[in-house]
Amino acid sequence: MSQLSHRPISQHLARRASVALAAALLFAPVALYAQSVSITSDSSKTSDRWLHVRVVSTESKNETVRVNVPLDMAEKVLPAINKDRLHNGKVRFNDTDMNGVDLKTLLDAVRTAKDGEFVTVQSNDSDVRVAKQNGYMLVHVTEKHLGSGKDAKSTEKSRVDVKIPMKVVDALFSAGKDELDLVAALRALSAHGDTELVSVKSEDNTVRIWLDSKNISD
Amino acid sequence: MIILAKCALALTSTVVVAGVYTFREGVIKVDVDEHRDGGSHVHFWVPAAAVPMAMHFVPKRHFRDMPAEASECLPLLRIVTSELRRYPDTTFVDVLDGRDHVRVATVGSKIQIDVVNDEENVHVAVPLSTVNDVANQLAADAPGV
Repeated sequence: MSQLSHRPISQHLARRASVALAAALLFAPVALYAQSVSITSDSSKTSDRWLHVRVVSTESKNETVRVNVPLDMAEKVLPAINKDRLHNGKVRFNDTDMNGVDLKTLLDAVRTAKDGEFVTVQSNDSDVRVAKQNGYMLVHVTEKHLGSGKDAKSTEKSRVDVKIPMKVVDALFSAGKDELDLVAALRALSAHGDTELVSVKSEDNTVRIWLDSKNISD
Repeated sequence: MIILAKCALALTSTVVVAGVYTFREGVIKVDVDEHRDGGSHVHFWVPAAAVPMAMHFVPKRHFRDMPAEASECLPLLRIVTSELRRYPDTTFVDVLDGRDHVRVATVGSKIQIDVVNDEENVHVAVPLSTVNDVANQLAADAPGV
């Protein structure tokens, strides 16, 4: 009698267990997929290097443009673009584009020169400074408002700061005489630490180009 | 009774397995809302796995007439979609101009494009693997790509 009463219970348990196992097996791919999605979508800081561009225009409707590009991806995408002067990640230019200036020779001179200021122009309406400092090529341009009156001081109208690592400049001109190697420059840039490359501040526009390890811009 | 239960379990399992297989690559979501009077409202979800499958039934001659511009973009599309899968959720492009807003981002394993302005709202989300599959298939079927 006791054997008879135990048998349906064990059968019932076995049936329940098999249904639970079947359900678990069926939903395992869904659960695994959900886990993988939550893992990949969580991180905002990666080991990759990201190039960020931010343009804020206060001119008319507060236009804002934000672009975030992983350098690794840019390195792989650029050689695939073959349009006009861009081929295999290199841009061709000729002497007429540079108004007869031999850019390569000019940059060779800058590269081999010691740290210091190469160009300094100070005038009433603008200041220009081109220098090489601690492995960076620096360009500062300040445009000024002319003050009215006899003793009036001029105020800053716009300011452009460019700070490019010399290794990136070297890589950029590492291709042929009349070519800029963008891919090599990106590769050199990705080996570099967090840095602000370009900053433009004017009355109606702010432009910032920088490099870091975050996939989000501030 | 037990046979009926077994049949129900088998049927449910088949439906669930078929569902998991169909939706394994997620869904393509398209939402278009035009704000003008009589404007169209299009909302549809398509299993992403169905697109490459459906492309097998499109006659090859239609792919040969693909515009040159599209052919030029295919290698780019293949690289971008395979590369984007490596990165976490990111907003790649975000343009805000008054009441116009354009955003291109990756969310999970999908690329999401949102365009919001006074005239219309457009939201498109496509799994990256689907875009990659379609680009590969187009490249394989279109000569010279």
